[in-house]
Amino acid sequence: MTLAFNAALCALILAAALATILGRGIFRSIMFFIVYGLLMAVAWVRLDVVDVALAEAAIGAGLTGVLFLAAFGRLVREGAEAEPPRRINPPAAVACVGLTAALTWAWFSLPIPERPGPQLAEALPRAGVENPVTAVLLNFRAWDTLLESIVLLAALIGLWMLTREDDWRNRLGLPQHVRPGGVMSGFGRVLPPVGLLVGVYLAYVGADRPGGAFQGGTVLAAVGLVAAMTGLVRPPRISAPGWRAVLVAGPLVFLVAGLAGALLGTNFLTLPAPVAGGAIFVIEVALLLSVAVTLTFLVLGPPEGENRR
Amino acid sequence: MTLWLPFVALGVLATLAGALLRVWRGPERADRMMGAQLVGTGGVAVLVLLAPVQGWAALDVALTLALLAALAAVGFVKASSPDGAGDPEEDEPPTTDPRSASEKADG
Repeated sequence: MTLAFNAALCALILAAALATILGRGIFRSIMFFIVYGLLMAVAWVRLDVVDVALAEAAIGAGLTGVLFLAAFGRLVREGAEAEPPRRINPPAAVACVGLTAALTWAWFSLPIPERPGPQLAEALPRAGVENPVTAVLLNFRAWDTLLESIVLLAALIGLWMLTREDDWRNRLGLPQHVRPGGVMSGFGRVLPPVGLLVGVYLAYVGADRPGGAFQGGTVLAAVGLVAAMTGLVRPPRISAPGWRAVLVAGPLVFLVAGLAGALLGTNFLTLPAPVAGGAIFVIEVALLLSVAVTLTFLVLGPPEGENRR
Repeated sequence: MTLWLPFVALGVLATLAGALLRVWRGPERADRMMGAQLVGTGGVAVLVLLAPVQGWAALDVALTLALLAALAAVGFVKASSPDGAGDPEEDEPPTTDPRSASEKADG
C-alpha cells in the first residue's frame, strides 16, 4: 500500500517537474513550479524529514510562488510576457546532462546515513535542545547558519541597490490599494492573526520538535506580505532605522553569542553546555524577527510606482 | 482504523492528477491558478491523513501549506490587476493605465 502511495506521489512530482520545464508559457511554468513545491512538501513528510518539509512548504510553495507571480505581473504590464522562440542550446544541454549524471553517480556512491549518527546522539545532551536538527543548526554547525543569515541580508542589500536615487527614503514596493470592506481587505484581517500564531509556534517548538527560526520566520513573512498587499499596513520607508535594526538583529546576536563563547573559554560559536539552551532561545528569537522582516522586504522589493514622490 | 488512512490518502492523491490536468490545460490563467490551489488543498488533506501514520508533526506542515497557499492566491490577484497592486473589486482603480501612473510619478 505504501508502495502504491509512494509511486503515485513520485509520478505526480515527476509530471509537475516535467511540465514546469517543458510546458509552453511562463504562467503555466510558474503554476507547475508552485504545484511541484506543494508535492515536494508531502514527499519530505513521507521521507520523515519534517524540518525540510516545513521549509519547502513555506519557501518553495509559498514565497517563491508569490515572487514569480509578481515578476510575471510586471512582464505582462510591460508587454513582454510572450515567450521567446524555443531553441536548444547544445553546450548548456551537455552541461546539464553532465551535472545530472554526476549528481546521480554521487547519490548512489554515498553511504546510507544513520539517523541520527552516533556522534550526534552522543553530543545531543550537551546541545541545550532536543531537536537534533536545531542542535546541529544553532550549536554544532552554527557557522553555516550564521553565514546563511548574513546571505539573506546581503541579498536584501543587493536588491536595495537597485533603488533609484530619487526613491531613496520612500516606502517599499508598489503602493497597494484595495476596496474598503471588500473580500481582499477582509482576508487581510483574517489571515494575519492565524499566521502570527503559527509562525511563533513553529519557531518555539523548534527546540524540541521539527520547526525553527527559518520556517517560523517565513510564515511571519507571509503574514507581513498579506498585511501589506491587502492594505492593512503600509510598508515602512526604506530608510526607517527601527526596521534596519531588526534586519541586523539576528546576525548580530548570533555573532555576539559566538564571541561570548570564545571569551568564556570554549571556541568561537561553540555554546557552553550550561547556558546553551538559553543562548539558543535568544538567538532563535533574534533570527526569527530578522528572517521574517528580511523575507518580507525582499518580496516587497525596492520603492517604486506611485511610492516614488 | 489507521490501516485505512493510506488508502484514503492514495485516493486523494489520485484526484490531484485531475488538478494537474487543469493546470496544464488552462485555458485561462485563473483556471490554472485554481488547479494549483486544488493541489494545495489536496496536499493538506493528504498530510492530515498521513499524520496518524507518519507522526503528528505532519500536521504542522499541513498548517503551513494551508497558510502559504492562501498567500499565493493573494499574489495572483495582485499580479493580475492593472498596476500590479490593485483589487478587482474596486469600482474605479485609481490608475488603470500603468504608463500614466509612471508619468505622474516621474513628474
